[in-house]
Formats: sequence, C-alpha cells, structure tokens
Amino acid sequence: MASIAAVPVRSPSFLPLCFLFLIWNFSHSLTKLRNFRNGLQFWPELGLDCTCKYSNGRVTYRKFVVKAMESDVDSGLRNDAVVIKSSEKDYAERQQKLHQNIVAKLHESVGSLPVFAFPIGKLSGMNFTIGLCIVATMLVVVVKGYAAKGSSDRRPGSVADLVRRGQLRSDRRGISTPLKYEDPFNNPMVKVSKSNSTVEMCGKVYRLAPVTLTDELQTVHQKRRSRAYQWKRPTVFLKEGDPIPSDVDPDTVRWIPANHPFATTASDIDEGLAQTNVYQKHGVPFRIQAEHEALQRKLEALQNDQKLGKLVIDPASARDFERPLKSHMKSENQVEHNISTPKSGSSASPSDHPSGNKPLPEELQNP
Amino acid sequence: MISIHTITKPSTFQFHPKRPSRKPPKTLAPIHALLQYNRKPQLAGDTPRVVVITSGKGGVGKTTTTANIGLSLARLGFSAVAIDADVGLRNLDLLLGLENRVNYTVVEVLNGDCRLDQALVRDKRWSNFELLCISKPRSKLPLGFGGKALIWLVDALKNREEGPPDFILIDCPAGIDAGFITAITPANEAVLVTTPDITSLRDADRVTGLLECDGIRDIKMIVNRVRTDMIKGEDMMSVLDVQEMLGLPLLGVIPEDTEVIRSTNRGYPLVLNKPPALAGLAFEQAAWRLVEQDSMKAVMVEEEPKKRGFFSFFGG
Repeated sequence: MASIAAVPVRSPSFLPLCFLFLIWNFSHSLTKLRNFRNGLQFWPELGLDCTCKYSNGRVTYRKFVVKAMESDVDSGLRNDAVVIKSSEKDYAERQQKLHQNIVAKLHESVGSLPVFAFPIGKLSGMNFTIGLCIVATMLVVVVKGYAAKGSSDRRPGSVADLVRRGQLRSDRRGISTPLKYEDPFNNPMVKVSKSNSTVEMCGKVYRLAPVTLTDELQTVHQKRRSRAYQWKRPTVFLKEGDPIPSDVDPDTVRWIPANHPFATTASDIDEGLAQTNVYQKHGVPFRIQAEHEALQRKLEALQNDQKLGKLVIDPASARDFERPLKSHMKSENQVEHNISTPKSGSSASPSDHPSGNKPLPEELQNP
Repeated sequence: MISIHTITKPSTFQFHPKRPSRKPPKTLAPIHALLQYNRKPQLAGDTPRVVVITSGKGGVGKTTTTANIGLSLARLGFSAVAIDADVGLRNLDLLLGLENRVNYTVVEVLNGDCRLDQALVRDKRWSNFELLCISKPRSKLPLGFGGKALIWLVDALKNREEGPPDFILIDCPAGIDAGFITAITPANEAVLVTTPDITSLRDADRVTGLLECDGIRDIKMIVNRVRTDMIKGEDMMSVLDVQEMLGLPLLGVIPEDTEVIRSTNRGYPLVLNKPPALAGLAFEQAAWRLVEQDSMKAVMVEEEPKKRGFFSFFGG
C-alpha cells in the first residue's frame, strides 16, 4: 500500500539539511513551473504531489506530499502517457518540451544547491582548513595540559626545594601568595551562578540549599544538652586509691590511674616559679641561669681549693730540690766573676752558665 | 551584634519566558555568606581570640582543621598561634612540616629551661604563624595545673612585646579526659569538628554539652569528610541533617579530598596548594567566617552534572 507522509518544510530538524535543500529547490522550480502554467502541477512521473499555497503572490508555506510508488505504478504512467498521446500532437510536443525543460530546470536547481555549490577543489581545501584548525586546537590543549602538569611537578634540586625545606621564605617568592582583595569575584576556581542557586568549585557544580537552623531551634538544643549533660570542671586530681579531702566536692575530683603513661598527680614544680618562667621575656631562663650559677660556684670553689694547696710545701718533697754544696759554691764563684767583668765578656753563654759547667776533671785542672 | 555587609545586592530571580511558565516565579534569598573572596575579612571580637578545636571522637580532622585554618588566617593577614594541647600524642607539627624545628615545649618553659619565645616555632612560609607544642612524647605533665599553665601561656602571649596574636588556636586531644579539660580552659570559643556519621555525632553532642557547661557558648561546627555523591545516594547524612541533630551553626563544610593525605605526607597544608584543592577552598572559607564570626547560610547539597558547551571538548 502506498503510504503518504507529509513532510513539513517548516520543521527542518526532521530532515537532513541536504535533503531539505533538495526539496526547497524542487519547490522553487515547481513554483516557477506553476507560474508558467498558472495552475497546480502534477508530475505523475516523479510521483510527487505538490500543493502550494499562495499568500500575496509569495509562497509562505509549502507542503510536500511524498507518495510511495507501487509496483503497478508503471501501468498507471503508461495509461497517462496514452492519454497524452491521444491528444493533439502539438500539445504532445509542447509537453515533451515542457518535460525537457523540467528536467533541465531540475538539473539546474540541483546544481544550485548550496550544499553542492562548493566546487570540488574548494571543498577539499575547506576541509583541510577545518581539519588544520581542529588539530591546532587539540595541540594547544595538549600542550597546555602538559605545561600545567609540568609546573606542578617539582624538579629535584630547584629553588622550590629550598622553599619547601624552609630555608627560603616562600611568601616572598610567590609560591604562597596572599589572597587578592582588589579583584572582586576574580577567583577562577569559584563561580556562583547569577541566581545564587548553584556554585561551581574546582570544575564541579553544586546545588545550594539554604540552612534551616533558627535561633529557636538552637535554644531548644541548648536546653536539651543542659538537661542531659551535668558536668563540673575537675579541680582536684587524685590518684586512684587516695582519700578524698573533706572540703572537696566529689564531683570535682578527677581520678588518675597510677600507671598512666603521661599523666601524673605529683606536682614537683613550684607553681609560682612556673608562672614566673612563663612570663619571662628577656634574659636567661631560670633553670639555665641556676645551673650556670651553680657551676660557677663549683668552679670557684675548686679554684680556691687549688690555691690553698699550692701555698703548703711538703718537707719530704723539698729534698728533691736540693743541690750538692760543691757545685753550688763553684757556681757562686763563677757568678761573681761574671758580675765583675760585665762588659768585657759577652753575655753569659750557656757554657759559662754555672749550672751548665761541668767541673773539669782533676787531671786537666792540675797538669 | 555584628552587621554583615552583603556582597551582592539582594536580587529577586524572575522568569521572563517566551511561553507562559507553569511554575510560579521563585525569589531566592541572597546567599551572601557562601563565598567570600572579594574582600579581606574584618576581624570581629576581642583579640586575641582563643579558639579551641575539638571533636570528642578521634580521627575526624581536628589537627588537619587546626593546621589549615591557622595557615589560612596567616594568609588572610592575621597573626595566629597554634597550640598543640595533646600532651602525649603530638601531631600538629607533622602536619605543618615543622617536626624538625620543635626543640622546646611548654614543659621546658615551665621548668625554666627556655623562655616562651624560644619555644614558639615560627613558620618560615608565613612568618605570622607560630606553633607551640605542650610537651614532647613520653614526658609527664602534672595535671594539677595543666589548665593553669595554658591560662598563663595565653596571658603571656597577650603581653608579649611584638603584640598579642589575633588568634590562638588550641588543638584539643580526643576524648573528654584531662587533656580535653586542659585544652578548653583558656578558650572563649569552640569549633566542633564532626563527620556525618552517627558515632561522631553522638560524641560531638556530648562534647558540646560539656563545653556549654564550662561556659563556652560560642560553638560552631565544621562538618568534615563530606561526600556529596553518598549524600545524593542517601548513604550518608546530609549536612542539614547533621545540623538538625546537633543544632549548631555551620562554620564550614569540608568535602572528602584525597589531597588531605598527600598534604599530610608532605607536611604542606593543602590551603597552600596551587591550584587550590576543593577541601582547601572550603578551609579558606571557614577561616573567613571564623574571622568575621559568621556562619554558613547555605550548603552545597549535591553535585549537578556540568552542562558542557561546544568548546568543553577542548577543556573549556
């Protein structure tokens, strides 16, 4: 069965563009033929029914009726052709000419389609240009991505390592920069929609919902917690097993296990001293000062003990320092001789030094 | 009462469709406390602001929050001192990458082995951020005056020659033991870190009660390790559900981010990352709200598929 499908030209989304243009040109050519014939046309050969509505001499709405061909359509066509031939010859000739014109005009309209209007040579050039632009854009995207990745990777041994290790101040190097307040709404990572209903952060879009907590609800929760949790700050810390003093509120006692790894109830530190230590602004810290002073005193004590030790001479050891008398007298004579001739002799040479002189043997002294 | 200056003028969203709309036009309240990157935050409250960061349950991200918010405050131009009040298990220095520079702790200061300024470790990346550790591992601190010692410390920091810091952040140990009591002693405000699971919420509720009993009323909440995909699939409580359970104003919502672990390994807090990570942005926003004593007015509920344009293929 033949099926007829009305294809409204006014809704091009249903048709491919090229087919649309084809149909439009058909209608254009048909309009011209209509003007020529002053009537509605019917082209059974093509199986097309064209109904056109005129509005002020211009075609504003066209509707094509596409009729599917049946298997026995050829017989219908032959019958029509027989009817034409049965008419006057002139009319037949005119019809033939008309058909030829129609075919020629069809060829013209097809050739004038803008889709096929590009010459073949230009078409490949345009494609080449488009392809080149696409490739260039892809390259830019890839290079940009690579550059961003490369900048995020830290090259070993660069100045960034020094900043990372804390050797250089980064706030002067632009690695950690303060937030900019001069440029409002200039944070590229955060974008709020105009309606304040969505926000885009780091490339993800979130829907916003208003907070529903009111002051009354907040008060209700506070009252609930005050009823549920009764707590007093502990002021007394006792080890497990210690008795509670009589004047202490049991609720303020905190029990500490004896084997707690880092908590102790022993207070070896003087509170006043500790407070003083905390408030100290200048000078040497107290313990360091105390240790230094103690060490200083100890050193002084040691030095004093050594000095006293040096003044006392041990008689047993004094004999070790005694010299024999003979040598001692000769040395005294030599010293007197040297003193009597101070200028003639040179400075006392080590050989003249009494201590250095060895007494000549008696054989040499008495030849 | 702190007046909040709206960044954008309140705008009513109105439809002007070509076809008559089926739904009535919506007017959304301006979400002015959501994202603040266009001006420096104005410091609210009396300085120094002593803030304790606690949670109750361990492993929810207190130390990470302390490190990142502290450095965010430094980047915003405020001086901050972070105190690691965990007596036995010290971790804040590791997250900040300052573990090799901690020579003296508060114990040495109390004993008189050094002065307080010698125990403060100044971060070379941001010179207005300092770290102070309570004690070295395996050292015992008398519990009798742990809280007193912290009060003296805060007082000494107020009266130091270069001027008091703008913020003193105290990283509280887990639990509600003596360490917790010591850490909350000098605090005026608290930041409660929790995760959207029931165990953490129960502990957070208890801790909030204890803080309120101790006189700390300004308590704000940070919900950490949020996964919007699980919230969308209803496998995880939403942030609004958490807020409904605890009844605390929101300081920040930190999404789950693998960059946290990498930053811990590097000793480089993720707020300093370039390009910034999602969690780092969230920490920055939380720090901004902390400075202005503000809270979140809207939360990010779910992730919408991004509408891709023609040029999205090229990475736009």
